[in-house]
Amino acid sequence: MTEAAGALVATPATEQQARPWTCPFCALLCDRFGVTTDTDGSFALVGSRCPRAMRSLGQFSACTEPASATIDGAPVSLDAALDAAARILARARQPLFAGLATDLAGARALFRLGSACHAIFDHAHGETMLPGLRALQDRGVIQTTLAEIRSRADLLVCLGTLPSLRYPEFFRRIAPAVDTATRDVVFVGVDVDPALGGENASRVDLQNDWFETLAILNALARKRRLVTKAPALAALVERLLAARYAVLVWEAAALPGTQIALLVESINDLLRTLNRSTRAGGLALAGNDGALSFNQALTWMSGLPLRTGLHASGQDHEPHRYSSQRLLSDGATDALLWISAFGAELKPPPTQVPTVLLGHPALSSAGKDSVFIPVSAPGIGSAGHLTRIDGVVVVPLTALFADSTPTVASIATHLLDRVKALRS
Amino acid sequence: MSTLRLRGGRVFDPVHGEDGVPRDLCARDGRLVEIAPNERVNSEFDVRGMIVMAGGIDMHSHIGGGKVNLARMLLPELHRHPDGSSCTPSALVTGYRYAQMGYTSVFEPAMLAANARHTHFEMGDVPIVDHGAYVMLGNDELFLRLLAERADFERVRDYVGWTINAAKALGVKVVNPGGISAFKFNQRKLDVDQAHVHYGVTPRLVVHTLARALTELGIPHALHIHASNLGVPGNIESTLATIDALEGLPAHLTHVQFHSYGSEGARKFSSAARRLAEAVNAHPEISIDVGQIIFGQTVTASGDTMRQAANAELASPRKWISADIECDAGCGVVPFRYREQSFVNALQWAIGLELFLLVNNPWQVVLTTDHPNGGPFSSYPHLIRLLMDKSFRDEQLATLHPEVAAQADLKHIKRELSLTEVTILTRAAPARLLGLRDRGRLASGAAADIAVYREDVNRETMFATPALVFKDGELVARDGEIVAAPAGGVYFVEPDYDRAIERTVSDYSDRYLATAFRHAEIGRDELCECCNPGGRLLLTKCVESARERAAGGRLQP
Repeated sequence: MTEAAGALVATPATEQQARPWTCPFCALLCDRFGVTTDTDGSFALVGSRCPRAMRSLGQFSACTEPASATIDGAPVSLDAALDAAARILARARQPLFAGLATDLAGARALFRLGSACHAIFDHAHGETMLPGLRALQDRGVIQTTLAEIRSRADLLVCLGTLPSLRYPEFFRRIAPAVDTATRDVVFVGVDVDPALGGENASRVDLQNDWFETLAILNALARKRRLVTKAPALAALVERLLAARYAVLVWEAAALPGTQIALLVESINDLLRTLNRSTRAGGLALAGNDGALSFNQALTWMSGLPLRTGLHASGQDHEPHRYSSQRLLSDGATDALLWISAFGAELKPPPTQVPTVLLGHPALSSAGKDSVFIPVSAPGIGSAGHLTRIDGVVVVPLTALFADSTPTVASIATHLLDRVKALRS
Repeated sequence: MSTLRLRGGRVFDPVHGEDGVPRDLCARDGRLVEIAPNERVNSEFDVRGMIVMAGGIDMHSHIGGGKVNLARMLLPELHRHPDGSSCTPSALVTGYRYAQMGYTSVFEPAMLAANARHTHFEMGDVPIVDHGAYVMLGNDELFLRLLAERADFERVRDYVGWTINAAKALGVKVVNPGGISAFKFNQRKLDVDQAHVHYGVTPRLVVHTLARALTELGIPHALHIHASNLGVPGNIESTLATIDALEGLPAHLTHVQFHSYGSEGARKFSSAARRLAEAVNAHPEISIDVGQIIFGQTVTASGDTMRQAANAELASPRKWISADIECDAGCGVVPFRYREQSFVNALQWAIGLELFLLVNNPWQVVLTTDHPNGGPFSSYPHLIRLLMDKSFRDEQLATLHPEVAAQADLKHIKRELSLTEVTILTRAAPARLLGLRDRGRLASGAAADIAVYREDVNRETMFATPALVFKDGELVARDGEIVAAPAGGVYFVEPDYDRAIERTVSDYSDRYLATAFRHAEIGRDELCECCNPGGRLLLTKCVESARERAAGGRLQP
């Protein structure tokens, strides 16, 4: 009988039992799934089999004892850790704030702390955010959003990306609305994404490499005559021009080489050409772990996007020079504040400089000159807000359990008070 | 308890007919009060000989939301100035610059419902000034569907009420009515009586329905209209047709400078300022703001993707952004340099000033540059001088494109605005038009938002750097230096509507949108979070709505 009752408790959760939840683990911010909490404190996803969400949820439990802060690996009180962290930041001549995996409230508070410390900001995904930003700054973009794609797109072209690899629910999120025209999906330079549902899907091969392929697409869209024969690309251009609303999807992390910004610029060129006669929009797949949110908040608070330094002499936006890797390997920074609030996967780069780590308890570092302060994960242990993949919609996050661990925003605010006190 | 006395300033309060007669102004805990002359106060300032006005109110300035941030991302090169000044300064610099000029309230006119949380977050980081936003309607596909299906007006009205409440807006703006949506269906032009290629509805119907809905919901700020055909030569016809579509309902036509163009002359581009001013003079229920252009580099950021895409070839520097957004609206960002020697730009400049000077009743006109679209808000002191000083205006006109300098109607307009009229254009009128009952005035009971200016014949100098600026009784700027930066509050309205409409919105959301319906509404607690600690919620009262009148009084929530 007891066993039977136990079995009842362990019955897989139904949708009715699940609490509505917003998943913070990729920039799609899916909010139509639920989560149940098992008696052992573990969480289970309801209404989706997203491997990314399931894996990330597996790092958390509602029954975990609060983790301790550490200095050089030894457990200390939160106050002692805050004091040590503030000393590192106050002493530094050029601190680097990186990782930056936090929500909007965290971003706001880190900006204020960074202003006081004259920090440089780069996100853990700075490298994959950069091509889109550079292309935007050079020539501009034509963008679209998830609901527009859902309601309008009759042709979706994935350029070199299998969206479901890093954004498993992508095709569900943009599934055509009930009375939308049928949609064709074309994959250029990659196989058809296995996650794709009933839409008509096909593959188009590259013509040598991405530069040549995009150059040919652009030339054909502008009705230029070509010596090179490229029938498959010519057919694709015909379809793009005939579509009522084509969407080009690309992902910097999936494009090869070192000149991705030039490829993105070429994609944007194609969009500009298409929009002379029909309608089309682009969607960049990027911005996980709060990268889009931090970029937005930093931009409105400082006037400049990621890879910006708030120096005493003024602000400076250096998209290449202010890469975390580069600053650390060049010895151009003397303190690292690394933030990874959504899980233990984003580890700080190996470095000799004094490090303050705000993150998931499993990140705890034992390195010399290191301070670790555990923080609550937005959307798991605490509420918060994140910016969705298309940069427009800010989605609220709710807590799955009552976490006594402080948020990034509250730690950053405490650090700011201490840094100011040390400086005065 | 904190008390304040400003001794002997020349007070300008057009609401109460005060026209520069010296008196003391006293405040207690952020409110203007009477305090006996011999009673001690915490802080006292001798402002004898100085001009005292309520804090400035900018009712149309793009200070927050996705498009402003995109403009910042697009143009990092314009942020290289050491103090962070540019045509789209950061949220922090925006608050400081406004306060330094004596402005204490600023309103973002184009908040997309889909982008409302972002907008509130961003405005929440604008320090010192109170803020609020008008939510965009009239291009969102549910609204257009309801019109196309000939839904009962009451349902449409309830949907408008629901949207205002969900987005925590102070009012509603319609941008190129129906046109942003039509552009998504590749329609490139939409006149007032032309049908949307997909939904079949006309801008005339969109404008009239929204204006009627706001009137019936009792929203204090009448429909804020960015009319059809922005920037198109000859667009005065569609602007006048838009006024006609209102059929006597109150409305606010925004940045009318961009909508007052004729198509006469060799260049098929002429001023129609007189025709618009005549219409405004004949329609006391209509108000306008001008959207004056200021020569130099700026960036235009607008929801009007149809018109922005058409103007993209003029981008300077040559880069631009366009976005279709969430079946809701869109945004277009096009950098622009207004040049004195361009015939078109010079004429735009003259048209803006003509509009200010040809509308008879200053209570119908608000001073704006449609920041940053016509120019940055920091050029307001220069603009005030142009309006107050005929000889300065003539000097400037003489330096422009020779055809404009020789022929502009502006040359013949002798009017110079008085200090009282400037007070109306920059505080009293916008406060009245927005329903801010305790701002834009200096009587007892009003908020102690106060700007104190040193008298100077050069009005640009005078208005650029007030001697003292108070926000809710706290000194925030002194001689151009920020001395305190309290968080600003957020204005919004909570209209009464039938909650049954939520089922319609929820069904639509499930079928077409990409975010769960439970996230559509911003709650009050969430609004507090967006606003930062200390930012107050400034709930603005609606006038009695049609539902309430029918029910014989205020409905229970």
